[in-house]
Amino acid sequence: MTHATAIIRRLSGFFYLVLLLGGLGALLATGILFVVVSDLPRVPDPLNRIIETPPTEIFAATGERIMLIGGREAIPLNRISPFFIQAVIATEDHRFWEHHGVDKLRTLKALWVTLFEPGRIQGASTITQQLAKNLFFSFQRTFMRKFRELLVALQIEAHYNKEEILEAYLNQIPFGVGAHGIEQAARFFLGKPASELNLAEAALLAGLPKSPTRYNPYRHFERAKNRQKIVLSRMAAVGFITAQEAQNAFQAELRLPSRSAESRTGSYFLDVVLNILEERYGPEVVYHGGLKVMTTLDPRLQALAVESVQNGLAKLDQILGTSNQAEVEADSTEAHPQGALAAIQANSGAVNALVGGRDYSETEYNRATQNNRLPGSGFKPFVYYTAFEKLGLTPATVVADKKITVAVKGAADWTPRNFSRTYEGPMILKQAFMKSVNSVAAQLVERTGPEAVLETARRCGIESPLRPVYSVALGTSGVSPLEMASAFASFATGGIRHEPFFIHRVEDPLGRVLEEHIVGGRRTLDATVAFQVVDMMRGVIDDGTGAVVRRLGFNLPAAGKTGTTDDYRDAWFTGFTPNLSVAVWVGFDRGIGMRDKQGNGVTGGRGAAPIWADFMIKATDGEPPREFPVPADIRFERVNPISGSVAGVGTRQPMLVALRTGQATPKDLDYVTRAPDNAAEASEQPTNVPEKSSKIPKRSTIVEQDLSPDR
Amino acid sequence: MTDWFEPKNLNDWLRRVFALRPVLVALLVGCVIVLEMRFDWVERTLGAYLVTTNPARPQSGAIWEKGRQTLTAKKTLEKIVTDRQASQREARSAESFSQIAAGLSDGQGAMLSAENFRHLYLKLPREAAREVISAFELLEISAQGNWRRTYFEKSGSDLIVYLLDADNRVLRRIDVPAGGLLQLEREDSLTVEALEDLPNFKNRIYPAERFFEALVSLPEEIRRNVILNPETLLNPSGQIVQVGISDEAVSGYIELGFEFAIGGRRQVILVQGHEWAVWRLRSFLEERGAALHPIKQYLEDRTPR
Repeated sequence: MTHATAIIRRLSGFFYLVLLLGGLGALLATGILFVVVSDLPRVPDPLNRIIETPPTEIFAATGERIMLIGGREAIPLNRISPFFIQAVIATEDHRFWEHHGVDKLRTLKALWVTLFEPGRIQGASTITQQLAKNLFFSFQRTFMRKFRELLVALQIEAHYNKEEILEAYLNQIPFGVGAHGIEQAARFFLGKPASELNLAEAALLAGLPKSPTRYNPYRHFERAKNRQKIVLSRMAAVGFITAQEAQNAFQAELRLPSRSAESRTGSYFLDVVLNILEERYGPEVVYHGGLKVMTTLDPRLQALAVESVQNGLAKLDQILGTSNQAEVEADSTEAHPQGALAAIQANSGAVNALVGGRDYSETEYNRATQNNRLPGSGFKPFVYYTAFEKLGLTPATVVADKKITVAVKGAADWTPRNFSRTYEGPMILKQAFMKSVNSVAAQLVERTGPEAVLETARRCGIESPLRPVYSVALGTSGVSPLEMASAFASFATGGIRHEPFFIHRVEDPLGRVLEEHIVGGRRTLDATVAFQVVDMMRGVIDDGTGAVVRRLGFNLPAAGKTGTTDDYRDAWFTGFTPNLSVAVWVGFDRGIGMRDKQGNGVTGGRGAAPIWADFMIKATDGEPPREFPVPADIRFERVNPISGSVAGVGTRQPMLVALRTGQATPKDLDYVTRAPDNAAEASEQPTNVPEKSSKIPKRSTIVEQDLSPDR
Repeated sequence: MTDWFEPKNLNDWLRRVFALRPVLVALLVGCVIVLEMRFDWVERTLGAYLVTTNPARPQSGAIWEKGRQTLTAKKTLEKIVTDRQASQREARSAESFSQIAAGLSDGQGAMLSAENFRHLYLKLPREAAREVISAFELLEISAQGNWRRTYFEKSGSDLIVYLLDADNRVLRRIDVPAGGLLQLEREDSLTVEALEDLPNFKNRIYPAERFFEALVSLPEEIRRNVILNPETLLNPSGQIVQVGISDEAVSGYIELGFEFAIGGRRQVILVQGHEWAVWRLRSFLEERGAALHPIKQYLEDRTPR
């Protein structure tokens, strides 16, 4: 046999082998086809049935829609920018108009790469195949799934024309951040309808579906730009545009609407709303029922809150020196301190703004509602209220600031210490409150008992678990910023408690009301006693530990209290005007202390109060001053801050105190020393502000003028 | 048929390869491939076939699952709305507060207009209405012009009524115990039984003469609170023969039963009195030993020693 015959023989054999294999393959495929077809999903008719699910819409209090769930905003092809259509076709399936559901050449190439180039997998899905996958199949990569997807694509091509297929595809394609379809994506990312997209914008959006998170322009602008470049070069390669047009489009400035890094307005707020709705109606109704939800969110206040928290945390980064660290650990949320803000309408309980962290896209953990961090001295208003109500003390009552030790039954003694580590001796309660003197608060809780303080906190709306220990006076039980804002609102309203709420009304798709919130308050605090505490809290802002608020330029009547916990792990400021109650917390998630480069700790006044002030200045811009209503049985006296007696001409730095009817100021210093009568009731050792107890435990004393006529 | 044999040389091979049959087969295969590449006939055929099988195939996959969830959601919503509308309808057509309470399940509420509330309020006996909310207060709330709607909420067995402004702010909250409601609205009701047939009254039935003798000996303020609406007792034409005092006090009220002899039959009219006033009257009656039944011993037994 000659060489030539051998070749011919081989070729001939190969030809028949291919023929045989092809035949067998066809037979096998036909067999599989009949098996698979019976289980193939039914294709809906018409195809645009995919958009029939009514969307659940969530609205802000202003009527602005802030979230759309589940529904699609389907638009016809003629309302989509031709640039976008070209960009998608060039990028995803440039032979879309020619093939019949499968691009055979591309598939063969992809098959070759997948089989013969180890480690590389190349996709060859046409737009029709992608549509089939999105409508019916999981994202699991198996040959059987691909085969089924291919068959459905063939059916879709056989039954619908190209325009219908393209329209369905463009109206359901996921762009991330909950945006499905080009209309939603264009409005979300560029603030305009899909019909108005220019070439640069169209190319940017067309690049997103490949990996919506990776190419999100808000989070990774550079990556998004690189992807845009690829899309533009594909458009040029396919002949839709010239290379020069591609170049110009790439260099064109992209104007993304200011949305900061938030994926949507009020993301933390919306998470809470969705949780509430799911609890009440179940996930199916929420995501497929087409509810219309009117919330309490004020978009203006929300934007200001986000801005204030982010600015405040950026400044805190500088103070703590975490800015550079953050660059090194760019993806680590733990490298930065976190923050939270809750703003509540005092006279209704409506939650107007909620920020649960530095950046929702980095961490969805909601520190405004889920975080139970120690409030520190932020808890003192409850202590002082309890002391005024239960013991009849007044803001002018004189108490000695001195080292005290509280005997705790069954545990080591508790010796709280002052922030300043010094003791100033006698002072009136208002002074002690404004300076946030721990030893005085400890003496008060020793007298009232921790249970009474807890009861006051509960009356104000604190719902987190609270431990009945003396140290509760110094805020040793965790609470959330939302709770604090809500509880302080009870003081702002003169003792009327309004439950915080997020939803005004819920309607079904036909507008029938499913629920509506009734704004009902109930009196939980005595109006006059509450006012006395409010007056002292005003002192905190005007001349106390929260005076930074005034220095930063917030001038409206307001009251508040700072809070700082052991080792500066948490810094709080909670304050209110007669209308708005706002709590701010900052701290590290891991609970490490916040100290600046010089080793000085960050207090509530330094870390949280500036955020509060920044927010309140903008939030109340243009509002006229509104004073807290003074109850009829309150009178003001100017007193000596040390002796509590009525201030005379020579009194240095007299202090204005609010006194109830029947409450007098001391004529002179006449200290009454009392032994605590309930020190032995506690059963647990408090944990906050620890200090070794002195070897000889001293019973604490309250030095006060007995003022109340009924005591 | 010629047996297959291997060609001996190249010429044989070429003859064999370019014989009619192989050429036709090659052409056929080539045509099939070219036509497929050109006209996608495999895809078209398969697609057309799949279209014919479409109606028989299962509604499975993400889009159908979503459809099912949408359907479930619609049904759930429809039920919520229907229930709510039913309770609203029932509340709107109710003729009394107790009917509203009866139509609501625990935690459920019904929103009615301010007019609805006024309508029901005016149907209450005067004294009972005063207990719910004083007419002056209601007038004041109405005059302020903010009152738009009224929300009735069932809480346990009680009924809570919220008078609301346009922003759903509560202008006034009224708590009405369910038992108290029934009691309030039962006033003026006429029964045909004799007092002895009413279990609550069996222990304290007094001759009318004795009852009124005791009543008139009490101060005017107490008398007014024993029988809140004496006009009610003037309506029947017969004569009062017996008066009973109920064992049960509800929401600060005690029922009094006045048994009338009207011709040959008896009728009992129930009215209400404030518990404290009725208690004073009853003590007075007991002291005088005027009861028909031996209840004095009973009372003595109950007195703590």
